[in-house]
Amino acid sequence: MTTISNDRSAELAAAGLDGQNKLTLGRLLGTGTIGHAEELPDGTMRATVRIPEDEMCWEPGILILPHGGTLELTLINDDKNTHCSVLPNIGDNLVIWMVNHSKGTATLNLQGPGIYWYGSATGNDEGRGLTGAIVIGGEVPPEAKLDRPAQPRP
Amino acid sequence: MTEYVDAGQAIPLSQLSAVKGSAPAVAENVDYERILESRSEPHNWLTYYGTYDAQRYSTLDQINKDTVKRLAPAWVFQAAMVGMHSGASTFSFEASPIVVDGVMYVSGPDGKVWALDAKTGEELWRYKHASPYDVSLCCGNVNRGVAVGHGKVYLYTLNAHLVALDATNGQVVFDSVNGDVRAGESGSVAPLIVKDMVIVGSAGGEFGVRGHLDAFDAHTGERRWRCYTVPKPGEPGSETWADNGEAWQRGGANCWVTPSYDPELELLFQGTGNPAPDFDGDVRPGDNLYTDSTIAVDVNTGEIRWHYQFTPHDLWDYDSTMENVLFDAPDGRKLLAHADKNGYFFVLDRTNGELVRVFPFVDRITWGEITPDGKVTPKVYPDKEGEPVHFWPGPAGGKEWTHMSYNPQTGLMYVPVQEVGATATRRRREFKESMPYWGAAVAVDLEDFYGYVAAIDPLTGEEKWRWRNEYPMCASTLTTAGGLVFQGTPTGEFVALDAETGEKLWSFQCGSGHHSSPTPYSIDGRQYIAVPTGWGGWIEGFLPGLLGNNKGDALFVFALPEA
Repeated sequence: MTTISNDRSAELAAAGLDGQNKLTLGRLLGTGTIGHAEELPDGTMRATVRIPEDEMCWEPGILILPHGGTLELTLINDDKNTHCSVLPNIGDNLVIWMVNHSKGTATLNLQGPGIYWYGSATGNDEGRGLTGAIVIGGEVPPEAKLDRPAQPRP
Repeated sequence: MTEYVDAGQAIPLSQLSAVKGSAPAVAENVDYERILESRSEPHNWLTYYGTYDAQRYSTLDQINKDTVKRLAPAWVFQAAMVGMHSGASTFSFEASPIVVDGVMYVSGPDGKVWALDAKTGEELWRYKHASPYDVSLCCGNVNRGVAVGHGKVYLYTLNAHLVALDATNGQVVFDSVNGDVRAGESGSVAPLIVKDMVIVGSAGGEFGVRGHLDAFDAHTGERRWRCYTVPKPGEPGSETWADNGEAWQRGGANCWVTPSYDPELELLFQGTGNPAPDFDGDVRPGDNLYTDSTIAVDVNTGEIRWHYQFTPHDLWDYDSTMENVLFDAPDGRKLLAHADKNGYFFVLDRTNGELVRVFPFVDRITWGEITPDGKVTPKVYPDKEGEPVHFWPGPAGGKEWTHMSYNPQTGLMYVPVQEVGATATRRRREFKESMPYWGAAVAVDLEDFYGYVAAIDPLTGEEKWRWRNEYPMCASTLTTAGGLVFQGTPTGEFVALDAETGEKLWSFQCGSGHHSSPTPYSIDGRQYIAVPTGWGGWIEGFLPGLLGNNKGDALFVFALPEA
């Protein structure tokens, strides 16, 4: 067992878990940077995710929303290969095809709190690292809460 | 650098499919009166159990003892449950399809609902409710079905939202949040339409929530009433929880199976789930009402009129959520039948909850004993910290949530029986919201199991016949006026039995195990039997010996060959 530092990024890099075809074949899922959606005055949210060249991952890999609702998401493919994105959305998943060096948008309606995953469903892009997370914080509305005193959480 | 290529706007995945996008407006005039009289239109299956009495009986008889040998698939629908959002190891296709005048409405795991042409299997529209991947689910990514009426399709989602869809196109009409996913609540029940309301119950008993049953305005999604199934201090039943304790706050008693309903009494008969923590009773002294009970709930107010508790102070995870079948005795007495997880079959007077009869319906019961007058004596239970205790039936019960059926022609109940034991070792833990709160280490037996369909006379307790199977019965039965009982097996066979003798008359291998409820219907004079297949859910609880069986996600529809 080697020493573990508190620097997660350094640990991933040292282990070869921060890119393509180092220790792993692809990018370890759930790694990458963390980003926050911008909340607009009307309560909708806005964010951008990008596929960097030869990284086969989404940046940020984890996108945090302050609450559920409408997210205007811009997706950019800076890679020199074609990818796509299948995204969670109330009613039906959304799909967008993203050829090399392309930019598109998706309007997502999601409820929180909780984690949603999305990915590029072509070839094995998802397994290689193109699986990203959208994380929604907050609480359910008061009328949906149980009638009981506040309880301890982990 | 050149400008980006315009990738445009993301579109719904169904736009890249052959989904038609619309269905005939057959649900417009499905209302309370029509559901009340649903037995008079046997070509349809208008509500979860077919009728409010939960008998799961069809008067259709084209498929009968003589013709069933020619039964063959008419069409198959593949639900395509793939990807991380499906929870690949846990999903199960558990629904009972609803059929209205040639249109089938069925839900699958992962928030999916489809409207299908019930004659051809053509996909008319689809809806996919996006639920977070990390919702606390004790028993898999499952849904037991939808309710259809008032022009809408009602779905209770994994993240505890009651969603109403336009029955003609699957578009959301309203979406009411009804549970706290941070507290460990979730949803899996098939809603029930009564009057102008939609009834749903909560799930999450393994996470120490406080159970409830709720009624919503079917048109607006506004909540009319909530019935908590664990009383607060000072409320009736609170004396069965420790004085000044906190246990009631996490008491369980969830309502994750659809109630039956008596329109004359205006009572819902709701089964309630286990207390929490499941196996550690020392932290919740008392009988723990209204856990493991049938409660009779006034449909107009949500008040509990009477209750009967099947396993007081449960220490074995013996939920009583499963159905309460309503039937009348020859003398007209209004009765209710309930085959409990604890291995005993109860007959109650449904006007007042009085015990009429109780008898065992499984072979092996070691946890305790219930005398004919209803006295309960626990014998074997996880009592000492760290000491393993083996008992029968295991925590999935002698019968799980999957439903029995009642055939008025034979007077028999057809019960899917599981003979599986388990070992529990008490391991106390602190309560923390959203974390599993069992109070034990539990391992269900990997061997020494079997199952059968038992044909039971509820008036005498006599078992008239049984059809024994190498593996436990983990799917609902259906019985018909054709003299048949249908049963799916864990190994994929869909079997037709003679309702009078139990003789196996026909079977078809569906390729994956059954954990659902078959639905009968007819179109243009041709009778069909629909059955979702797809082995999964809480397999580690009811049959871990087949945890590795093939998964699947197909809805099979059978009919006799066309002339």
